[in-house]
Amino acid sequence: MAARHRFLLTKPTRPVGVEPLPLERRLGVDYDTAWARRYPVRLARAMLLDDVTWPIVRLGASPRVFGREHLEPLEGPVIVTANHASHLDTTLLLCCLPPRIRHHAVVGAAADYFFDRRWKAALWAFSLGAIPMERVRVNRRSADLAAALIEEGWSLVIFPEGGRSPDGWGQEFKGGAAYLAKRCGVPVVPVHLRGTRAIAPKGSSQVRPGETEVRIGTPLWATEGEDARRFAARIEAAVALLADEAETDWWSARVRAASASTPPFRGPAASPWRRAWALPSSADPSARRSEQRAVREARSWPPEVVPK
Amino acid sequence: MRALVFERNLARFAASKVAAAVAGSGHGVGVGPLELLEIDPPDLPSQRWVRLAPRLSGICGSDLATLDGRSSRYFERIVSFPFVPGHEIVADATGGVFDGARVVVEPVLGCEARGIDPPCQACAGGHRGACEHLAFGDLAPGLQTGFCADTGGGWGAGLVAHESQLWAVPEGFTDEDAVMVEPTACAVHAACSAGLESGASVVVLGAGTLGLCTIASLRAFTLPGRLLAVAKHPEQRRLAAELGADLVVKPEETRRAARRLASTLALGPDGGRVERLAGGVDVVFDCVGSADSLEECLSIVRPGGEIVLVGMPGVVRLDLAPLWQREVRLRGAYAYGTELRPDGPRRTFELAFELVASAGLGRLVSAAYPLERYEEAVAHAAAAGRRGAEKIVFDLRRPARRRPGGAQEAPGPGGAKDEHGPGGAKDEHGPTGAPDHKESP
Amino acid sequence: MSPRPGFVLEVDRSTPSTLFWHGEGFRLEKLPVGSRVLYAPEPFAALKDPDAAIRHALEHPLGDSQPLRSLLRPGMRLTIAFDDISLPLPPMRSPDVRQRVIEAVLDLAAAAGVDDVVLIAALALHRRMTDDELRHILGSRIFDAFAPHGLLWQHDAEDPSQLVHLGRTDEGEDVELNRRAVESDLLVYVNINLVAMDGGHKSVATGLASYKSLRHHHNVRTMRASKSFMDRHRSQLHTSNWRMGRLIAESGMRIFQIETTLNTDTFPAEFRFLQRREWEWSVRDRASFLAASSALDRTPPELARRIFHAVKAPHEMTSVQAGEVEAVHDRTLSMVHAQQLVHVDGQTDVLTMGLPYICPYNVNSIMNPILVACLGLGYFFNLYQGKPLVREGGVVILSHPTPWAFNPVHHPSYIDFFEQVLAETTDLLEIESKYEEAFATDPWYRHLYRTSYAYHGVHPFYMWYWCAHALEHVGRVIVVGGDRAAVRRLGFSPASTLADALEIASDVVGRDPTITHLHVPPLLIADVS
Repeated sequence: MAARHRFLLTKPTRPVGVEPLPLERRLGVDYDTAWARRYPVRLARAMLLDDVTWPIVRLGASPRVFGREHLEPLEGPVIVTANHASHLDTTLLLCCLPPRIRHHAVVGAAADYFFDRRWKAALWAFSLGAIPMERVRVNRRSADLAAALIEEGWSLVIFPEGGRSPDGWGQEFKGGAAYLAKRCGVPVVPVHLRGTRAIAPKGSSQVRPGETEVRIGTPLWATEGEDARRFAARIEAAVALLADEAETDWWSARVRAASASTPPFRGPAASPWRRAWALPSSADPSARRSEQRAVREARSWPPEVVPK
Repeated sequence: MRALVFERNLARFAASKVAAAVAGSGHGVGVGPLELLEIDPPDLPSQRWVRLAPRLSGICGSDLATLDGRSSRYFERIVSFPFVPGHEIVADATGGVFDGARVVVEPVLGCEARGIDPPCQACAGGHRGACEHLAFGDLAPGLQTGFCADTGGGWGAGLVAHESQLWAVPEGFTDEDAVMVEPTACAVHAACSAGLESGASVVVLGAGTLGLCTIASLRAFTLPGRLLAVAKHPEQRRLAAELGADLVVKPEETRRAARRLASTLALGPDGGRVERLAGGVDVVFDCVGSADSLEECLSIVRPGGEIVLVGMPGVVRLDLAPLWQREVRLRGAYAYGTELRPDGPRRTFELAFELVASAGLGRLVSAAYPLERYEEAVAHAAAAGRRGAEKIVFDLRRPARRRPGGAQEAPGPGGAKDEHGPGGAKDEHGPTGAPDHKESP
Repeated sequence: MSPRPGFVLEVDRSTPSTLFWHGEGFRLEKLPVGSRVLYAPEPFAALKDPDAAIRHALEHPLGDSQPLRSLLRPGMRLTIAFDDISLPLPPMRSPDVRQRVIEAVLDLAAAAGVDDVVLIAALALHRRMTDDELRHILGSRIFDAFAPHGLLWQHDAEDPSQLVHLGRTDEGEDVELNRRAVESDLLVYVNINLVAMDGGHKSVATGLASYKSLRHHHNVRTMRASKSFMDRHRSQLHTSNWRMGRLIAESGMRIFQIETTLNTDTFPAEFRFLQRREWEWSVRDRASFLAASSALDRTPPELARRIFHAVKAPHEMTSVQAGEVEAVHDRTLSMVHAQQLVHVDGQTDVLTMGLPYICPYNVNSIMNPILVACLGLGYFFNLYQGKPLVREGGVVILSHPTPWAFNPVHHPSYIDFFEQVLAETTDLLEIESKYEEAFATDPWYRHLYRTSYAYHGVHPFYMWYWCAHALEHVGRVIVVGGDRAAVRRLGFSPASTLADALEIASDVVGRDPTITHLHVPPLLIADVS
C-alpha cells in the first residue's frame, strides 16, 4: 500500500488554497533546553565529559590547573567567568572544575552561533549543558532563564567577552555575568585560560596539540550599590591579574596590581600589527622556546600604554 | 574478374570489429567480410554508362573505418551489399565520349547517374553531394561508387560509371596525381565552404592525407591569417609546413600554440595548465574525427567560431556544453559539388585538378599494392602516419601499362622492384581481360 | 680547527672517483689523470649569538647612516622589503635569517610606536610565494601579525597603480619602483648574500622594479658585457644597477640596508658526504652515499624531487651589517669572498660540472631544461673572477637528467618558450628582438604572475640571457645523461656518459685536453689568474 500512496513514505504535498500549519520551529534563544537537564541526560553528559572528553583534553591540551582551593569553601551555585580565545575553552574549563560544579552547571552559549540549527542546538545542549544567550541585544528571556536556573542551584559558566578574541588580546567584559551575580546573590569566580588559542585558534580549522594552564582566582561578590558595569570591570581586572600571573608570577602580578600597572587585558591601543607583536605567547612554540629569553629581555611594553 | 568484395555478413563484421580493437586499426581485414573473389563485371545500367579499368585506386579513411567495423549504422540505408569498395579512382575508359582516355571518377551517385529526371534541388544546383535520391532510381542504394552493388568499385579489375561522373585527366598528370584528385576535392570543398573570412586564424587538426590536402586548399583558395597545423608524426609535420602551414606543432602542444595564435587568455585547473581557451581561433578543421579531437576543437575555437568536420567520424560521445555556451557552429563537410568563387561558381573537381597540379599533391601517394596483397595494403594505410606514409593505393595496372615516375610498388618478400614498362601516350587495350569478362549489351 | 681554504686538486692514480651532482641524484665519475678538481673552502664558523649581532648592527650602522632606532618615530610610514624564496639554496632551517632580522627591526618599531608598517617580498618578476613559504621565511610570529591584516605584500610589477617612475639615469635607463617603497619615510631592506651577485644597490633597483626598469640591464648586451656577473667591478649588470641605485638615493628615498652573509654549510647530516672531499669520507659517509644512491635509483622522479626539496640547509649567519647601501655592501662582499674564494692558476680546455636539483628559480618545483642551462652556463659558469675557468672556445660539460618536464603552475611561459621560441632559434639576439616583447606583454602570463604562482612571461628569456656570456665564450656545450630531445632543443650535444662527452669534445679541444671539474655546491668563486 505504501508503494501506491507515495505520501505515506515522504512528506505529503499540500493542496493549493489551504492554509499551512504555522511553523513551529523554535531555534536560537527560543530553543528549549530543559530536556538536557533531566537526570538521565545529565548522567550521560557526566559520563561523556569524564570518560571520553577528559582523556582527549588531557592528551591534546596537557592542562595544569592552579587555584582550585578557591572553589572549595564555596557552597551553592557560582558563576564562572573566563577569557575566551578558542572553542576549546568551554570543554577545558568544564573538565578542570571540581565535580560538584561540573556536573551541575549550564554553559551560556551564543544563541546565534550554537543554536541556529536543530541538530547543533541538541548537540551542545546535550554535551555541554549549553543554554542559549543572546549576545547582540539584551534579551530578557535568556537573562530570566539563567537567573531561574541559578536560583534552582545550577552553576553558570559564561564568557563575558561575548565571543572569541579575534587577535589574542581580550575584549571588553559585558555586564551579563555581573548582573546575574547581583540579581541572584552568587559569587563570580574569575578564571584565566592560557594556551587555548595556540591549539585551536579562531578562524582556523587546524587543531594542534599544545599546553594549557587554567588559573582560578579569588571569588568576587557584588558590593552594595555597585552597578553591573562597575562590577563587570572589576571582574575583568581580576582576569587581567590572573593573565599577568600566568606570564610572570604571583607576586610580581600582585605588586603591579597594587600599583595599578597590570598589563591591560585588552592590549595596547595601537595598530593591529603592534597589538599582535605585543602578544605574550607566540604561535610558534618551537621558535619561542629557543628565543624566549632573548626576546623577553629585548622586548618592552609600548611606553604610552603603561599608565603612570 | 578479380575484385575485393565486401559482403554483408554480420558475424564477420563483428569479428573484424573485435580484431581491429585488439590488434589495432586495419588488422580486422583478415577476419572481416572483405574477400578477394572472382566475380562477373557489373552490367552497364544504360547507354550513358561507361566501362572503366582502374589504374590506381586509393584507400580512404572512410574505407578503413568500414573495414574496422567502425563506421556508423547510418550508412546502412545508403549502401547496398555486396559491393566493391574504392572510390578514389583513376582508370582507362571504354566506350562513350571518353573512350580510350584516362579518367578520374567523381564517385557520388546523384540524380543524373540514377536516371532521375527532374533532378532534386541539390543536383540541379550542382551540389551532387547533397543529393536526396541516393537510395532511389535505376541503381541499388549507394551514396558513391564504391558503396553500391550495381556499379562495382575501384578495388577491382573493372567497374562502370555514368558519363557525368567522369573527368578527363589532363596532359602531364601522372596516375598518382590523378588518384589524388578525389581526396583533394573533399578538402577543397571543406576549405571553400567554411565561412572563412580573410585574415582569420585557422587550426587544422590532423595531418593525414585529408589534413594535408586541407592545408593546401586553405592556402590556395582562402586567405587565412595564420594557419596552425597539428601533426603527430615528423613526416607529416614536414609536409604540413611545405604545403603552407605557418606553424606546425605536436598534438600535446595544440592548446598552448592555439592560445598564442589567438592571443587570448586560458582557463585551467591550476595556474598555468590550459584546459581551454578563454577566446580562441576562428575556424578549426577537424581532420581526425574522434571524440578526443572534437573535444580539442571545442577547447580552442572562439565563441561564435566554427568547427568543420572534414573526415568521416564514427559514433562519438561528446560534451556539448561548450558548443552551446559559446555559440559554436559545428558543420560537416562531405564530398564535393560546386563552390562559389569570387569569379563565379566552379566545380570542386575542377579546382581540385588545379590544386593537385600547383601543390604537387601527387607526392602524397606513398606506396602502391596489388590487389592480392590487400591485407598488407590496409594495414599500411591504417598505420600510415606512424610509418611515414600518407596515401596508400592499389595498383591495378598490368606491367606493360606502367608509366615511369609513378609510385614504387611496395616490395614483396622477394624485394626486387618491378620493371617499369616503356612510357607511352596511351596504352592499347580493347575489350579484353579475363575470359569470363562479359560484354556490355 | 679553523676551516680549511678551498683548493685545486690534481687528479692522480690514487684519487678516488669524484662526486658529480646529477639532478635529484649523484654519480661517481673517474676523471682522467691530470684533471683538476676545484673544492670549495670549508664553511666558516657561524656567529655564536646571531640575535645579538643583529641588534648590534642595527645600533652601529656603517657608512653615512644613523642607528635604526633613531630613524623610527611614531606616525611614520615604514616599509620592510626582503629577499624572496630564491635565497638561500637550499632553503634554510627555521629560524630563517630574515625572520631574525625582521623581528629585531619590528621590536624597535614597536618600541618606537610605528603603526604604519608594511612588509614587501622584493621578488621583481619572480613568482609569488605561497603562505607556507612565507611562513617559513618570516616565522609564524611575523606572519600571523601581518598577513591576516593584509600588511604582508608581494611586489606586483604589473600593477601600474603600485608603481612609480622615479626618473632616468644618465644612460637613459628607466627607474620604476614599487610605489609603497618609494613613498615610505624609511625603507628597510633585509638581504641574504649567498653569492657575490646579490646585494648592494641591486637589492632595491632590481627587487622592487618593473619590467620597464629591468629590461635595461636584463638583456643580451649587458649580460655579454658582464664578465662575470659575480664580480661587481667587471659586471655591466652591476654598473647599471649602481647607476639606478644612485639615482634612487638622490631621489630622496631613505634606505636602511641590512645585509647578511651565510656560511657554506649547505647539507644536513644525512647528506654530509656532499660537503666533504671524497678521500675524507668516513665509513658513515660512504654508507650514506651508497644508501642514498641506490634508494634514489629506485625512486620515481616526482618523489625524489619532493624528498630533495624538503631538505633544509644548516646555513648559519657569519656576518650582519646595516646602514648605508654601499658601505654595507663592501663589507658583505669581503665576507663572501673570504668564505668562497679559491685561487686557480690558468684556464682549462674542458670545464665539467654536476648540476644539482635546485637553482634559484625552481624551489619546490621542477628543474626544466631552460633552468638547467641557466644554472650551468649562467650561475656556475660565472663563479669566477678575472678570467673564466674555461678558455675561449673550450668545452663545457654539464651533468643533469634534463627532463623534458615543466611545472605548469610555476613556469607556464617557460613551456611556450621551449616549445615555440627555442624550436625556431637559439640565437640570443634573434630571440630578444623577435619574441621578448610578445611574451613580456602577454595578458595570460600577466594574469598568472599576478594571481597565481607563476614567473613573469619574460622570465624564461632572462634565463636564456643569463647564458649569454658563456654561449659567446665557449665552443661547445655537452650534457651528460640528459634527455636527448630536450638537450638538442637547447642547442647542446647530448652524451650518455662522461667518456662519450669527452670523445665528442675532442672535436673541439683535441684528444688530450686539460679538464677542470667544478665541485659545487658548496659554493665557491674561482679567482683565475
